[in-house]
Amino acid sequence: MSISQREILIRTFKSNKTSVVGLFMAFGVVIIALIAPWISPYDPIAQDMNIQHGPPGWAHPFGTDSYGRDQFSRILWGSRVSLVVGILSVLFAMAAGIPLGMLGGYKGGRIDNLVLRFIDIFMSFPIVILGLLVLAIMGPGLIKIVIAIGVALTPRIARLARGSTLSVKGKEYIEAARAVGQRDWKIMLIHVLPNIFGEILVMGTLWVATAIIVEASLSFIGLGVRPPTPSWGAMIRDGLDQLTNAPWLSIFPGLAIFTSVFAFNLIADGLRDISDPKLRG
Amino acid sequence: MKGGKYFLIFLVALVSVGICLFSTAFAQEKVVRMALKASDIRSLDPHYGTTTIDYACIDPMFNGLVRFKPEDINPEKIEPDLAERWEHSKDGLVWTFYLRKGVKFHKGYGELTAEDVKFSLEKAANKATSGFAADYSALAKVEALDKYTVRLSFKSAIPSVLGILTNYHGGYIVSKKAVEEKGDKFKLDPIGTGPFMLKDYVPKEKVVEVRNPDYFRGKPKLDRIELWFMPDASSREMAYRKGEIDIVEGEREQAWVKKMREIPGTAIEIFGPGETLVLHFNLTKKPLDDIRVRQAICHAINIEELMKFLGPDVTTKLVSVIPMDYLGGTDKVPKYEFNPEKAKKLLAEAGYPKGFEMSMVITEMSDYRRPMEQVQEQLRRVGINLKMDVIAHSAFHSQIRKDVNPLVLYVCARFPTADPILTQFYYSKSIVGTPTAITNFSHYNKIDDLIEKARVEIDSKKQKALWTEAQKKILEDAVALPLCITKFVFARKTNVDLGYEMRSTLTLVTTIKETTDVRK
Amino acid sequence: MLKYAIRRMIFVLPTLWAVVTFVFFLIRIVPGGPAVAALGSYATEESIRELEKQMGLDKPILMQYGIFLKDLCRGDLGKSLITNKPISQEISRALPYTLDLAIGGMIIGILFGIPTGIITALRRNRPPDYIGRILSLVGISMPEFYLGILLMYVLAIKLPLFPVLGGGDLSNLSSRLYHLFLPALTLGIIMTAFISRMVRSSMLNVLREDYVRTAKAKGLHERVVIYKHALRNALIPTVTVIGIYMSILMGGSVLTEIIFSRPGLGKMMVFAVKDRDYIALQSVIIIFSAFVFLFNLITDLLYSIIDPRIEYH
Repeated sequence: MSISQREILIRTFKSNKTSVVGLFMAFGVVIIALIAPWISPYDPIAQDMNIQHGPPGWAHPFGTDSYGRDQFSRILWGSRVSLVVGILSVLFAMAAGIPLGMLGGYKGGRIDNLVLRFIDIFMSFPIVILGLLVLAIMGPGLIKIVIAIGVALTPRIARLARGSTLSVKGKEYIEAARAVGQRDWKIMLIHVLPNIFGEILVMGTLWVATAIIVEASLSFIGLGVRPPTPSWGAMIRDGLDQLTNAPWLSIFPGLAIFTSVFAFNLIADGLRDISDPKLRG
Repeated sequence: MKGGKYFLIFLVALVSVGICLFSTAFAQEKVVRMALKASDIRSLDPHYGTTTIDYACIDPMFNGLVRFKPEDINPEKIEPDLAERWEHSKDGLVWTFYLRKGVKFHKGYGELTAEDVKFSLEKAANKATSGFAADYSALAKVEALDKYTVRLSFKSAIPSVLGILTNYHGGYIVSKKAVEEKGDKFKLDPIGTGPFMLKDYVPKEKVVEVRNPDYFRGKPKLDRIELWFMPDASSREMAYRKGEIDIVEGEREQAWVKKMREIPGTAIEIFGPGETLVLHFNLTKKPLDDIRVRQAICHAINIEELMKFLGPDVTTKLVSVIPMDYLGGTDKVPKYEFNPEKAKKLLAEAGYPKGFEMSMVITEMSDYRRPMEQVQEQLRRVGINLKMDVIAHSAFHSQIRKDVNPLVLYVCARFPTADPILTQFYYSKSIVGTPTAITNFSHYNKIDDLIEKARVEIDSKKQKALWTEAQKKILEDAVALPLCITKFVFARKTNVDLGYEMRSTLTLVTTIKETTDVRK
Repeated sequence: MLKYAIRRMIFVLPTLWAVVTFVFFLIRIVPGGPAVAALGSYATEESIRELEKQMGLDKPILMQYGIFLKDLCRGDLGKSLITNKPISQEISRALPYTLDLAIGGMIIGILFGIPTGIITALRRNRPPDYIGRILSLVGISMPEFYLGILLMYVLAIKLPLFPVLGGGDLSNLSSRLYHLFLPALTLGIIMTAFISRMVRSSMLNVLREDYVRTAKAKGLHERVVIYKHALRNALIPTVTVIGIYMSILMGGSVLTEIIFSRPGLGKMMVFAVKDRDYIALQSVIIIFSAFVFLFNLITDLLYSIIDPRIEYH
């Protein structure tokens, strides 16, 4: 990231309260995910038939499910799945999409057309549906979900990278490098990439939010991680059967998803308010 | 005076019109809507229907030569249905049935005759046109002696002739003309003699049946029945609460029963024969080929905890693979008490002191999945890690029959004698993946002789002894672990009067009969 | 304009073809082939071959592809592996429910999103803005199925105001709308959040420009005219984005249909995945993509209508 972009980032957080709040919240979620095994009061998969469907109380702040498992511990552990999938899938999409977008934007011409075509094709699928399709073929499992969502996000990141590349392409330092005779791929790596990375990072946080929702959606449908691993989406689904007698089983996991997504959206909003030149005025 | 007469007529006309309008406003259709735990039907051809939803749709549309007294599967209470009376030869090999006269098939397909019965039974006995042909393997021939008389000849004596002629599986009588006319389409457009006939089938949504006004037992009280497919427990519950559904298939869990009981105007029907929950071990998958490992698993499973989860209202004890109240059921079999320490010791002996891992598939259907999730946890406590992939119910059924799983938790109900269960699950010819496969998931083949001998044994005491011996061996060899029996659970609005007492039924649902009524 | 429309449509066709081809080949790369996947591993050779014959998989792949395209052009989408009935029948039954939902959600989103966006833009950094922004942030952070469950719990269970499931009778307008309300509201709330943010940021863009600032100084009458102009300009990017939003809506409809048991395409798709009915899955996805393309096309056309007029201002 170039110095000016770093400056902007720091300035953002210094002046923009919302993104700071978001950052703290997101940090909180990440910390929870990291230390969940140590702060969970109970084993998230230990069953106890004596306390089925227990309401929230001192011993179990979020209640217990049909197997007597502590919901609070399960929500803490569930953050790991959501974050791992959320962050890894975006990283996957960036690793695949940025080179693609850069290639198309920088080279232009036929290659660009090809890239655009590819983007168009994949963008015609809503993310959940593409994820569904990929999982239908690969079967359930954590890594497979990361790949499924990553594949779905790749075209969107690619399009972003392409757009940014296009706007950077005309800049002087690029012209200079070309005049000196630097190879294309070197130019892309050394000059283009650092300058578009900031924008992509901003959108990246937004996509993490989306990825978390998509993972929850796929788990909710039943294509998520295998039981008994706790996943917020699957918890909502199991809780749905008890909506009339134990609504807390669906409500709390949903709040967890909402909070995490909200946090990342706050960060993204803050970053965008500052770094988007169009809105700067 | 003339004017006065006309005025009177006019007044009478007005009043009559008024009454008509008034009463049509009140004369609503009598409909019962039932929601079942399935996503779609497999077939409405009664000789292929094997799932609960199939039964629920098929039963109101067909009759058998005889029927169980509604609803009680006590074989001693079998009574006439399409046949008025019958007689049989001393050796039990020739049976003659005298049909009721004037029984009409739906939608103008004519009167029921012996030709239809002959055609129907031959269809049921034919592998190519029926899924239940094996039940009729002893049937030699069917003759239509005259328009209303049918004679059945058997190759050998079978335990219950009336049993295979009841209103169940192959015993349902179909219209010869309709089957010949519709061919493959009969599966989704069936013609029978029952109190209701098919009006509409919306895939993945519902089946609608309307009253058959010519039903031989009298005009059915209901105008229409709707059978909705709702695999989602919460949707079913919501629909019931909101009054969009009158009868709903329940979850076989105490929590569900408790929750539904609290809804005003609700009657809970819990009835038999119940389905047995049995865990089958696939003897061909390591390390289950070692009997010590299998025994370890048996000791690791806490049946009491399982029954607590499912609930006392819904479960009864099961000690052998055949329930006690089946003909041939016994409790004189080895039992594996809950003992995790012993389990761990056995595992260590077999070479797995730290336990081991196994992968399997399980259906998302709660009847199988939820007990299995408990089993998974209980096995985890002794070090056995089960990786379970949750898949769709239909995919699950096809996969387990392709020999994929090391453990198969199976839920089933069969005709209440020992033979069907022993044959389908423990007979070598039924091993999955073979051409004659049924549901022998374990690949067990050590009691073939006992099963075959018992089938043809005339002396009932000796027969029972053979069956007991077979069950003992199954448990000695730790081929399968019986867990419990779960009864069927339905919730019904109290303004729906089933028209009979719900005791037990092979159709696994609260079937709608001509006597079923709904009050406002 | 018509020429533009036709040109655009032609441009879109190759992409649509590419999507269709992509789905076709994807379905067939399932390990073991879709027939085995549908039947499970260790399936008997006989049953696999039977199903493959039924699916037309025993022919060389390019020939299959040719047949597939030919059938597609005739409107034949194949038969479901499970029910063996033509899929086009099922799809035409399910389609209205999904379209109702997508359009309903969009209408609610536009109806509430645009005014909210305008108000928050005009009252920037004042209380209405803060409230509006927080609410819209909440809206886009809600998983649609969670929002659906909450709405269902409050408006259909606790207060029995609305039906819980089904799509209602299509031929009966009141039943249709009555069953549409909650699902459409679920998606509508999320759409409102997206659209209001979009409108707000485009309005802010326009309002910042110099001539607007001068107009503010000049007086009320001019201000009103300029604000109207600003609104029109702000709506352009909104229209542009509707195409993308319809894509989001179609995706959101999948889960909403599951929650409310609406018998639409989304529900059909999920069941096809679970039942391993790959032919049905293939066809539903193609139809879905076709609609996404259609909406994008409409958006493009709208854009081209609005755009030239503004240019000449």
